[in-house]
Amino acid sequence: MAAEKKGSKNSEHHGHHIVPPKVLYTVWGLLLLGTALTVAASMFHFGALNYVIGMVIATVKASLVVMFFMGMKYDSNENRVIFLTSFVFVAIFFLLTFTDLFFRGTVEFDAGRFAKAAEARAGAQFKDPWIGTDDLRKRGHDLFMTNCIACHGPEGKGNGPASVSLNPKPRNFTSGDNWKNGRKPSQVFGTISHGLNAMPSFSTTPAADRWCLAHYVLSLGPAPGKDTPEDLQKAGVDTSGKGGGGGEKTLPVDLAIDIMSEKG
Amino acid sequence: MAHATTATAGGKKEAAHHFKDMDHEFETCKQGLWLFLLQEVLFFSPLFVGYYVFRGLYPEDWHAASHHLDPKMGAINTVILICSSLSMAQAVHGAQTNNRRKSIIGLILTLIFAGGFLVVKFFEYSHKFELGLLPAGAFTYTGADLSGYPHAKLYYSLYFAMTGLHGIHVIGGMAVIAWILKRTLKGEFDSNYYTPVEMVGLYWHFVDLVWIYLFPILYLLG
Repeated sequence: MAAEKKGSKNSEHHGHHIVPPKVLYTVWGLLLLGTALTVAASMFHFGALNYVIGMVIATVKASLVVMFFMGMKYDSNENRVIFLTSFVFVAIFFLLTFTDLFFRGTVEFDAGRFAKAAEARAGAQFKDPWIGTDDLRKRGHDLFMTNCIACHGPEGKGNGPASVSLNPKPRNFTSGDNWKNGRKPSQVFGTISHGLNAMPSFSTTPAADRWCLAHYVLSLGPAPGKDTPEDLQKAGVDTSGKGGGGGEKTLPVDLAIDIMSEKG
Repeated sequence: MAHATTATAGGKKEAAHHFKDMDHEFETCKQGLWLFLLQEVLFFSPLFVGYYVFRGLYPEDWHAASHHLDPKMGAINTVILICSSLSMAQAVHGAQTNNRRKSIIGLILTLIFAGGFLVVKFFEYSHKFELGLLPAGAFTYTGADLSGYPHAKLYYSLYFAMTGLHGIHVIGGMAVIAWILKRTLKGEFDSNYYTPVEMVGLYWHFVDLVWIYLFPILYLLG
């Protein structure tokens, strides 16, 4: 037995290094000392330095455990690389996450602006948007200029640059003839919501904006028809409700998430 | 003698047939364990990243919420785990030097320390349960000190996730230590073969390692 003991001690294989108890006790003492120091340091207020001190002591303690208790000091380079690699990846994890987080600052600022714009767009300031007013037509004009002129043209004559390739041609709003779905605001609102021929559905545009557009394009031609309560009901308008009303109201997904997280 | 590849009448362990010798087997096991620990570091890291992300976003909430943790309890548990690491190291040393008695005492002490750690944790947890300082939706604490801090519940989500995952590791550690103790009592280990003892030791030190970071982060520097 004595020979065996000697044999394993003399073994050149690093895996069989036996850490002397004296070293173990010393490390234990240092770890306790480190714990006492951490607790003591946290009782003083050094500001941000507190964190640095706490983390430095923890890392020294962790290194002692890894080096002596876990025997990394006597281990092969291969095993050292294996274990330390994990910390390289943790560092990457932290670095990328926090780069993202810091970058979010500007996005949050944008989101605030975006939220305001979206709130305006949701038509909160428009009471009963199915009734045409100059305010609505003005907003409709703005929306028209950014969203519609490619096909309908800046004057709404159906001669925008993209109209060349379209057949049937886009609607000429200055004419009162042949409106397939009719010329009442609710009917135009329906056409914008569901699309017609080559025109896609704009149902993801806030309902109030669709009303604005309807009123604007109708103002370009002869006096439009008047909506009856039945017409409004058909368009999905709950006249007893407030706000934008009429059809589904939608929000961009990221804005919805923002609002939810603010409330949560 | 160290390269004992021949079986003796005393039932000495032989290296499995796909290993060159006992050293080869031991080295392979240990490398496997280091790979496992690499995975463990990555396994814990998202919780730390999450903790720091929300600490960065809501520093005031974090500060207020962390005041409900008792640094005394945390410090006691830190000392307990450090002592358990020492006793575990002594158990491994006992196995390495054919000192079975030392190994047995070391393992029993480690089990007692681990149990002590869990008892302290139990008191901490039950106190939190009483006050309703619980994760997310279960958070029912109504004290005025946290009324202005809506993200305190998020702190407790992370507190329970981090200490809970660590606690599961402690329980798992106790199970494997008990298994090693049983095998040591049966006399299955000696200086020729003690691989499982050392592997469990490495794992146990890792559990200590995690706590070394959890303690200051959660209890002292919130």
